[in-house]
Amino acid sequence: MTSELLLSIFNADFLFVLIRITAPILYAALGAVIAEKAGVVNIGLEGIMMISALFGVLFAYWTQFWLVGVLGAMLVGIFLALVIGFFAFEMKTNIILAGIAINMLGAGGTIFLLNMFTGMKGNTGALVTRELLIPVLNIPLIKSIPFVGQVLSGHSLLTYLVFLLVWIIWVVLYKTPLGLNIRAVGENPDAATSIGVSVQKIQYIAIAISGALAGLGGAFMSMYYSQGWNSGMVAGRGFIALAAAAMGRGEPLGTMLSSLLFGLAQALRTKVSGVQGVSSYLVSAIPYLVTILGLVGYAISIKNKLKKRQPAVKGV
Amino acid sequence: MSSDKRLFLFNFLRGAAAILLALLVATVFIFLSSKQPLTSLKYLLLGPVISFKSTGAVFNTTSFLTLLAAMIPTIFSGLAVCVMFSANQFNLAGEGVIMLGAFVGGLLGIYLKLNTGLHQVVCVLVAAIVGGLIMLIPALLKVKLGASEMVTSLMLNYVIMFVILHFLNFTFADRSKGATQSFPFQATAKIPEIVANGTKLTWGLVIALVFVVIIALFMYRTKWGYAIRMIGINQAFAQYSGIQVGAIIVLSQVVGGILAGMGGSIEMLGRYNTFIWRELPGYGWLGITIAILAKNNPIFVPVAALFIAYLDKGCQLMAINSDVPFEMIDIIQASIFLFFAAEQFLAKYRQRIVVRIAQRDLALQEAAAGQEGSKS
Repeated sequence: MTSELLLSIFNADFLFVLIRITAPILYAALGAVIAEKAGVVNIGLEGIMMISALFGVLFAYWTQFWLVGVLGAMLVGIFLALVIGFFAFEMKTNIILAGIAINMLGAGGTIFLLNMFTGMKGNTGALVTRELLIPVLNIPLIKSIPFVGQVLSGHSLLTYLVFLLVWIIWVVLYKTPLGLNIRAVGENPDAATSIGVSVQKIQYIAIAISGALAGLGGAFMSMYYSQGWNSGMVAGRGFIALAAAAMGRGEPLGTMLSSLLFGLAQALRTKVSGVQGVSSYLVSAIPYLVTILGLVGYAISIKNKLKKRQPAVKGV
Repeated sequence: MSSDKRLFLFNFLRGAAAILLALLVATVFIFLSSKQPLTSLKYLLLGPVISFKSTGAVFNTTSFLTLLAAMIPTIFSGLAVCVMFSANQFNLAGEGVIMLGAFVGGLLGIYLKLNTGLHQVVCVLVAAIVGGLIMLIPALLKVKLGASEMVTSLMLNYVIMFVILHFLNFTFADRSKGATQSFPFQATAKIPEIVANGTKLTWGLVIALVFVVIIALFMYRTKWGYAIRMIGINQAFAQYSGIQVGAIIVLSQVVGGILAGMGGSIEMLGRYNTFIWRELPGYGWLGITIAILAKNNPIFVPVAALFIAYLDKGCQLMAINSDVPFEMIDIIQASIFLFFAAEQFLAKYRQRIVVRIAQRDLALQEAAAGQEGSKS
């Protein structure tokens, strides 16, 4: 059984699936990174993904053009993030509660909205046709390299985009004035204020970007990954993304690696549940268990680091 | 004294305004989506306690009793959230721990052989202890390692659910039944109805109300409760005043776990005959809404739980009798979340009241000072 498993894991198909499964987690995780850098907790990623996934399908269906769906999902994501921001910053609602509210809208509100717009229940069924899915890109030269081509070519446009975004977000955070402001606001809002940076404006921008990313992740889910919207679709990916960002130390590259780890756990689940004698339920628990263990491992590493850095301070 | 009263009245009115606003949002959505908006609204707002017959509207006692029955698990989860949120611990594992408590209590109800009376007590107590222990995971990870209790508790929900489903399917399933379920609970373990009328209103409600009082006393009359609230208000201050912040943070989450585990087992042994939950029950999230409505004050939890039960029933009836889906409740709940928890909601009026009170107090003081001045 073990060798059978190993064989099914170390092949091109599996690596292809790994990339595909990681992408939506990575979208939301990058959203968490941007928000966290500005000192904002966006626990609403899960709900934003659900709602924008629905609107991605709806916009694509109404206009019969996939790109409008993707952009629409992104705009919906931005709007929802700004709603969280408005209630958190202006109305002083605890931002975690505001995020949970959006998650509730994501869980039940979407079913309501779907019913309201289309009369359908639970999933978008026949709305999604092949032409409305996010197109797949076969990369010319790489495609024909034996193993590498199978792994890297043939993904959706949004899959490539998210890995590109890892780099873009790193550049934005570390090479642009906006990134500097975001980091300043997150690390020391008072200092940022003292040099004339509007903390609130920067936090609005950060949470809006975070919403845009989660929105793209939602579009990826409904318009490529599961080829249609259904009510249990996001299944905690928004929460896992928070864990991935925490484990990736809030850095784009580290977050990509931890997202790949969670992607691996999920990909293993689909592989292993096909094997005889393995409980699909226990395997389903793996990604979440890995998340907890990952957080623990990360927390321990941070703690050790702090200990090394400050050997003089005792009892803190 | 009167200034306190005015602020209290203001807070009460503000809460009412937030709820009205949430219902207004619901009404707008109903009018947008429904072909018979008035029928929908009628069932949503009045359906839970009034039955509409051809002869006219009658107060529906049975339905009202089912509302009370629905409060049993949510009072417990509401209390659990109150305690944890009071210490600023955003532990969201209530959901999973309720399921775990129900599972543990249920198993003991099936396999343990005890006399009635003792049997229920053992089931509920063990479920409570297991609930408290499992909450040690997010609590200790937070205190010892600084891992966010919010993220670990969210993950814990899924882990608990899948592990329970595994054991339910592979170890404890009653294979003679078509659906996946456990063997039936023994009669000695069942929590009986107060009046045997099929409303599922069990003695669990009485236990829940007793715990409302216990937790209220715990939060407002013990040093631990004080410490929990102090950490929630200002953790640094609590630390400087000598409170053992780490231990109290763990305590708050363990108490939350005990309450959730207890609530799960009481609900399971009261309402059901076999363990049949195949997904998270949702009571944990309702508990958060309830704690927000109760402003983390245990005494208000039953009122909030009744309101939520009413809303839930109203949405169910609306979904049955009209074309608006049940999920409307999530839109209402989300609106309540946003407005009710908004400190700045109607803050201008609050400010005005505070200013007026301060001015009056100042005037009184000046008058008093003036009198003393004229005396001397």
